[in-house]
Amino acid sequence: MNSFLLRLIAVAVMLIRLPAPHHAGELLAADDPKAELTFENDILPIVKAKCIRCHAGVEPKAGLNLTSPSSLLTGGKSGAALRIRAAESSLLYEMVSSEKMPPVGQKLTAAEKGILRKWINDGAKGVSNAATLDRSDDVTDTDHWSFRPPVRGAIPSVRNGERVRTPIDTHVLKRLEENGLGFAPDADPLTLLRRLYFDLIGLPPTPDEVEQFLTDTQPGAYERLVDRLLADPRYGERWGRHWLDVAGFAESAGILNEDRALPLAWRYRDYVIDAFNRDKPYDCFLQEQIAGDELTDYWTAFETQDRLPDDVVEGIIATGFLRTASDPSRPDFSTIKNAEAQYFYPTLFDTLQIVCSSTMGLTVQCARCHSHKFDPIPQVDYYRMQAVFTTAYRPEKWIPQMNRRLHIASKKEKEAAAKHNAEVDANVKQLSDEQAALKSSFAERIFEDRLKTVSEEVRADVSAAVKLKKEARSEIQKYLAERFEKKLRPQDKDLDAALATYDDFKKESATLTAKIAEEGQRKRLFDEVRALYDQPGEAVTPVLLRGDPLTPGPLVQPGVISTLTTAKPFEWTTPEAAAKTSGRRLAFARWLTQPDHPLTARVMVNRIWMHHFGTGIVATPHDFGVSGASPSHPELLDWLATEFVESGWSIKHVHRLILTSTVWRQGSRVSAEHRSACEQIDPENRLLWRQALRRLEAEPLRDTVLAVAGTLSDSMHGSGQAVARQKDGEVIAMPDSQGPNRRSIYVKILRLNPETMLEVFDQPTIAVNCTKRSTSTVSTQALTLLNSDAMMKAAAAFAERVLAERSDDPVGRAVLIAFTRPASSDEQTLLSEFVAEQTSRYLTEKAEAERQKPQVKAESHRKAVADLCHMLMSANEFVYVD
Amino acid sequence: MDQSNILTRREALDRFGAGFGGLALGTLLGQASLASESPSLTGHFQPKATSIIQLYMHGGPSHVDLLDPKPMLTKFDGTAPPDEVADDENRTKNLMGSPFSFRKCGESGLEFSEIQPFVSQHADEIAVVRSMFTEHRNHEQAIWMAQTGMTTAGRPTLGSWMAYGLGTENRNLPAFVALPDPGGPSVDGVRNWSSGWLPPRYQGTVFREQGSPILNLQPKQPRSAAIESARAALLRKLNKQHLTGRPGELELEARIETFELAGRMQLAATDALDLSDETAETQKMYGLENATTKSYGTRCLMARRLVERGVRFVSLFMSGQPWDTHSNNNSGTKNCCLRTDQPVGALLTDLKRRGLLDSTLVLWGGEFGRTPAAEQRGEKASYGRDHHPYGFSVWLAGGGIKGGQHYGATDDFGYRSVENRTQTANLHATILHQMGLNHESLNWHHNGRDERLTDVYEAKVIEELLA
Repeated sequence: MNSFLLRLIAVAVMLIRLPAPHHAGELLAADDPKAELTFENDILPIVKAKCIRCHAGVEPKAGLNLTSPSSLLTGGKSGAALRIRAAESSLLYEMVSSEKMPPVGQKLTAAEKGILRKWINDGAKGVSNAATLDRSDDVTDTDHWSFRPPVRGAIPSVRNGERVRTPIDTHVLKRLEENGLGFAPDADPLTLLRRLYFDLIGLPPTPDEVEQFLTDTQPGAYERLVDRLLADPRYGERWGRHWLDVAGFAESAGILNEDRALPLAWRYRDYVIDAFNRDKPYDCFLQEQIAGDELTDYWTAFETQDRLPDDVVEGIIATGFLRTASDPSRPDFSTIKNAEAQYFYPTLFDTLQIVCSSTMGLTVQCARCHSHKFDPIPQVDYYRMQAVFTTAYRPEKWIPQMNRRLHIASKKEKEAAAKHNAEVDANVKQLSDEQAALKSSFAERIFEDRLKTVSEEVRADVSAAVKLKKEARSEIQKYLAERFEKKLRPQDKDLDAALATYDDFKKESATLTAKIAEEGQRKRLFDEVRALYDQPGEAVTPVLLRGDPLTPGPLVQPGVISTLTTAKPFEWTTPEAAAKTSGRRLAFARWLTQPDHPLTARVMVNRIWMHHFGTGIVATPHDFGVSGASPSHPELLDWLATEFVESGWSIKHVHRLILTSTVWRQGSRVSAEHRSACEQIDPENRLLWRQALRRLEAEPLRDTVLAVAGTLSDSMHGSGQAVARQKDGEVIAMPDSQGPNRRSIYVKILRLNPETMLEVFDQPTIAVNCTKRSTSTVSTQALTLLNSDAMMKAAAAFAERVLAERSDDPVGRAVLIAFTRPASSDEQTLLSEFVAEQTSRYLTEKAEAERQKPQVKAESHRKAVADLCHMLMSANEFVYVD
Repeated sequence: MDQSNILTRREALDRFGAGFGGLALGTLLGQASLASESPSLTGHFQPKATSIIQLYMHGGPSHVDLLDPKPMLTKFDGTAPPDEVADDENRTKNLMGSPFSFRKCGESGLEFSEIQPFVSQHADEIAVVRSMFTEHRNHEQAIWMAQTGMTTAGRPTLGSWMAYGLGTENRNLPAFVALPDPGGPSVDGVRNWSSGWLPPRYQGTVFREQGSPILNLQPKQPRSAAIESARAALLRKLNKQHLTGRPGELELEARIETFELAGRMQLAATDALDLSDETAETQKMYGLENATTKSYGTRCLMARRLVERGVRFVSLFMSGQPWDTHSNNNSGTKNCCLRTDQPVGALLTDLKRRGLLDSTLVLWGGEFGRTPAAEQRGEKASYGRDHHPYGFSVWLAGGGIKGGQHYGATDDFGYRSVENRTQTANLHATILHQMGLNHESLNWHHNGRDERLTDVYEAKVIEELLA
């Protein structure tokens, strides 16, 4: 039976369930794979027959007019009637296939359903983008404080000015005084020292550094220390990490289970570290990250320069910021149905979310599907901003993530290299040919040598038979060949072993192999950068109805949030057709970094503040919108924002302002009277009547464990330390050539294999980005500290260290290193007793005869000291900073 | 709560609760914060179930070979599908009937294929939803839909929502336990029990079958009790002294408590997973004597012991994605049943005879179903079925579910869900409902909005499934 007949039967069987006539013509139309279904020819007739009674005319039912293809995407009251290429999730198809529609009269026949389904799945020919947008939800009210530029007010006056060190203090004290409160006393010098180290470099001071600080009694000692730490390269490792959170930095592609590694991602991480260390002006930092290629005119440099200038290289590396969003794309994705909707658009969505939440503190992603419910962000503005990126990220012409990269090379270098490499390839080929020839000549020699083992009577015949082509052999020769050929002529897999017995072959071949390798080394390869850059040509950016790529709406041009009040508008003009890059991103970056942008400076100074106090002036650093928190000190926020801009967007300037203030230098431990007076009025310390007690984040905690153990490498930059999942499920960093332990910022971040200790202490698992970390207090943290291998090793190393440094007083040394303070005499007694008792406990676990041996005693002592060190590193005083 | 609390309520909710405890439906900080209090809270309404065991079936089990009999497939086996149900991506070709016969089981006559002889004995306890559909045909995104309610990455899993919403009834054990296969990770790895943007304390805690049940529950080099307790005593003294200088710092107290809990957990977790005190009959029932069923059977038995001890949500996984039968669908599906059917049947039996089935909701299902037509690779015997998001089946049992029924239907070929079409959000809303939670009220403020498991979907509790 042919398939057509079977198909007829299949349809007929269905008709038993839904008795309805069908027409052979319809069936054929859906049946012929070549026939392209169109709205006019194939769909409209069905609509006219079955739907027109309700869904047509001036007031169609449910607002859905099915007679006009342009209204299908706009849809009716229940939303779009169809999703292009996705019949199974199109409302129109759902209604007719489940036979809810038409409600009365004849249902669609199976054949009609098939036609409708195929038409939609083939791309719904005849349907154009929805022409109109529902903008009834747009909020245009810009009354919200953060949508207006910051205003630098006068420094307020305060009653008790004697503790005021900086304008920050005046602002904060003003609010405290309004509430009848005041500052807590300054923290003691050692507390400040420890806090300062952790805030700025994420590591505790060494005993020598403690000593140095305590002996510097000259005026300005504290300020000098601040400057020294700001100049310390470890500052960039600490503060770069904060930025990597908001950038959503990870070193694997995400989404798919394969979670493909991104071997080039580290360059962006190093760029961030260096930018902080060099105090790169923040406006420049943002411009480079959003449009470093356009800012430094990469394409001109590429076309005209002998080599790429350093600033251009830095510029393209900086665009790694726009490559942090999950992007699992591979070349084979081109075969996936609706890959744009399923994979490519989501990368674009995430990118915009990262850009806006990190730089502007706005939750723009709400406006992807509908105009923002709370903030004045119309949906159309979301897509205008998306259009800033669609010349680079083109859903319809997606570049697989591993191919989206630039070389650190000019065109000249690339061309020269190509020429050079072609020569190298030719040489390599020649050498390889020589080697092959050598091989076959020796293969022949092997044959001749082996032939000698054949008895003399048949030798000549065998030789002749084997040398003949198969088809030319006589019957006897066939027999001989079959009998001897395998033995005489080594087969491919045996040839190498056979050749290895010929010393002269080995020698000559080795020489050639070395030459090939040497020649191959001459190939000129260029370092690669995971960058974002434009594809030439005009880009098409539709508004997506309900955020759905399968229901495209009107096209938009690049733009920004129209309700944000800025002095300079977003300025962009279409470049000439031949332009290599559109300039969209640079226009956006310039708009974003104009001095009185309402959000850019405020959002950044708020982040800096948050990392110095635990909470931002705006407690929701990711949301400066209407549903975000109100600033605790609005005038201070604006003063800091304008000061930041006036300083040339210097982040280090803001640090200095904060760190030298009385507000920051307050103790976190306060008297009972101060506490009870303040908590009556301000239980959450929003007015800053003391400094907050803060837990170390994951990275400084892990780094500090390694630092006090003396096993932390100080090597900076470069490809990160690999991580590996152990059999027991623990993920650990693997030692590499740069040392067993590098700072945590150099431990690779794989989305599906986060390093266990970092994960347990709340290093974010990156889905999009992290604008504010959780600080959890859970038992797995206790278990990790108490029992993990890493902690056991660190404790042993810490013990070795203190015993080596101060064998006379390991206890005092350990406390100084771990807690940045000398042990009190009570502690000294308590801890020394512990060591003595623990030593004898270890000894009693040994056999009687063993106990007297000096090495056994020493070993027990070392273990006891290690236990002490381990408990110090697990203690609250180690994990929290006053 | 005393006056010394200087944390905001949300921060406190983020941080405390003895690490594993629960929190909070906009209720009392006092209950949720201090570890010494039992953190279990009441839900929105009277719950039917107090625990969930999720039998997650990675890969997407073939509904037409297990739970959704389709005589039409058998009848038209080997013929091209009609246009209405033709593969929209042209990845499969001819219709393929199931080689397994279906039987009416129990008093209800609910149909199961013959390769589930044990589970089918519980037909009258089981409700099969035959009208599921999902939104993605790739594993990861479809897993996120099934586990987190949307096809986007980074959202909290069902178990995390339960831990957040209800906490645990045993303060010495986590609220949400994941039981991965010691044979290897499942597809999507740790994301299967991720808390997404909910605080990390709500993520699933992995319990292992062998060795120490929780990572770092014990040191690799064992310490004697004397050594251990001296260390603990020293730590306690250090922390006490530190706290004395910082009165009212709740977080410090909470952290001290986490160390105490860690100690208690060593006992509780070890005891919970000590299967040696199960009778020989029980062990045999779960298939622990048989190499094929031992692994899954062990996890099923662990799951029962955990819910018995008040763990709120237990998720069971298998290595890789065994149901992903692109080739050898028939033998592959059968092999999965050989590994899991007896243990799952035993779990239902055991829960029932211990009186736990009424309060324990058992969920069985994967991220999608499989195509009614064959993915043709090689010989007919090695034909497979491709991913299929448009119609598939899951089942629920216990926990106030009305068993012995199927809900909804796919079309004649098992292609598309057509009757009582069930989006994932409806299933999630129903599950939450049985646990006493209203899907619209269980919220977490994130990224400027109140997020929930059912997100933007207009979800409804499936009343027909409720007893």
